Amino acid sequence: MEIFIQQLVNGLTIGSIYALVALGYTMVYGVLKLINFAHGDLVAFSAYVGLVIMMQLAGVISSSVVIIVLVFIFTAIIISAFGVLLERLAYKPLRKAPRLSAVVSALGASLIIENGIMLIWGPRPKIFPSNIVPNINWNIGGVYIGLMQLLVLVISFVLMFVLYFFVNQTKLGAAMRASAIDQDAARLMGINVDRIIMITFIIGSALGSVGGLFIGMYYRGIYFNMGWIYGLNAFVAAIIGGIGNIPGAMLGGMLLGIFNALISGYLSSSWALALTYVLLIVIMIFRPTGILGERVAEKV
Amino acid sequence: MDNKKNILYGVFFLVLIILPFILNSRWESVATTFLIYSTVALSQDIVLGRAGMFDMGHAIFFGLGAYSTAILNTVYGVPILLTIPVAIILPLIAGILLSAPIVHLRGDYLLVTTIGFNIVFTQALKNNVFGFTGGPNGIFGIASPSIFGYSLSSQTAVYFMAFILLLITLFVIRNLETSKIGRALHYINEDSLASECAGINTRFYRLFSFGLSAAIAGLAGTVFAVQFSAVSPEAFNFIQSVLFFTIVLVGGPSSVEGVLLGTFFMFVLPEMFRQFAEARYLIFGIAMILIMIWRPKGIWPAKFGRIPKYFFKD
Repeated sequence: MEIFIQQLVNGLTIGSIYALVALGYTMVYGVLKLINFAHGDLVAFSAYVGLVIMMQLAGVISSSVVIIVLVFIFTAIIISAFGVLLERLAYKPLRKAPRLSAVVSALGASLIIENGIMLIWGPRPKIFPSNIVPNINWNIGGVYIGLMQLLVLVISFVLMFVLYFFVNQTKLGAAMRASAIDQDAARLMGINVDRIIMITFIIGSALGSVGGLFIGMYYRGIYFNMGWIYGLNAFVAAIIGGIGNIPGAMLGGMLLGIFNALISGYLSSSWALALTYVLLIVIMIFRPTGILGERVAEKV
Repeated sequence: MDNKKNILYGVFFLVLIILPFILNSRWESVATTFLIYSTVALSQDIVLGRAGMFDMGHAIFFGLGAYSTAILNTVYGVPILLTIPVAIILPLIAGILLSAPIVHLRGDYLLVTTIGFNIVFTQALKNNVFGFTGGPNGIFGIASPSIFGYSLSSQTAVYFMAFILLLITLFVIRNLETSKIGRALHYINEDSLASECAGINTRFYRLFSFGLSAAIAGLAGTVFAVQFSAVSPEAFNFIQSVLFFTIVLVGGPSSVEGVLLGTFFMFVLPEMFRQFAEARYLIFGIAMILIMIWRPKGIWPAKFGRIPKYFFKD
């Protein structure tokens, strides 16, 4: 039982990281109907940027709390700027093109970021310093919870609630939902759709950057092509939850994280990846638009 | 127009025939791989370009063909040429079985599911599920084919095997284009609901396109296994599927010339710029974006719907 709960805690931690990254995929898909394949690499990039900022600040500021807060803020700003730049250069010229052309453009952008990281920081993995977040563990009835895990869980849940509130309760959020449903109608209602798309990319990239930093701080080792695998997992989470659906991405991320952790815990970790995709395929066959995805009237 | 095209193809084939006699062995190997990849890309195009289904797991069928040949040859000692029927039929069956539960999925969901299939496939090969796939290292020491006692082990022989493979594929695709099935696929791609209302069995034709393309990819897999006399999971992973997917879209969906150009652009050009080792993929990514911006329908898009002239007369 303790193993089960331990794996559940681990799974929730990883799951909330997946959920943060998945939100970036799902929000962009909601507005642009585009699978943003470059998002995963942007997440990897954010881990590297965060590491550089952390190293710079570590020499100036002594309080590690201040350092962490600043690292998160600066990284989010830089990555959001990159997200907007990506949209402007690679996706905006292709709004009217066939949908698959934008997918190729996204794959191209992914290649650029991935190899850009490799050219700047080299092909060898980088290690996050261990002393930034103190290595404190609590033992609650045989289950170990680390400070880092607690931070990941709390911050992700707060961010997700803020996002949920933003999308459902604010005017800008309503505009975003309207653009996702029908861009032309939204434009007729006086919504500046280009601005909404920009805001979507800012929010998606910022959440992704938090996810990237968490990956760096939680797993410590980062490598230039990690964007593929984390991005793909997060993307699967978004699909499982129903792509375009914000609570769906959160649910999908959690489910995927727990599923992964339980398989690694009880079976073997070399099967985790394959079984993740078996789960995806099974869900796609029985619920073709994901768990929370809208039902589309289409002959099956 | 048609005449021009015939001359173009004539020149293309002539160049392909002369090529192995002027290239050194490294470039001859690149040219062989170009022919094999062109075939796989053309088969991918049947599903992606012609039937309009977003398949990003085509390396599975390529891999199934290659592994069938490799296993039959190294474990059971079957001569290469006799493994060809298996390398065609096994991917064919797999293509139909895998696509049957998912062909009704909408575009992007289909794409994700095929990615899923591909990752499960590579992981299964790596973890050596069936016990004879050789695990992460793959299988080595595949024999070279022989006809009437002559061993076709030289690079040039393999090159011409690949060349014949491409010719067969071009022939199949030419027939497909001008047949009832090709027209049905084109219609399904344009508007699947309308085609269904017109009495086209969309499900049958979609499965057909998956089966056909899987069979061609499987055959290409045999030649691939022969060329490298080894197979490994890495050669058929998801990234490889992305490559075939991109070749089709960069070149021009459902355009044979486009797919050939796309293969040249996506595979041969990076080989040429090998001395720039690390930076080349960065530049490559930029080129992919620029091509899509300038030519959203591919470098050499297919031309459809040219209404015959006699409709306009009088």
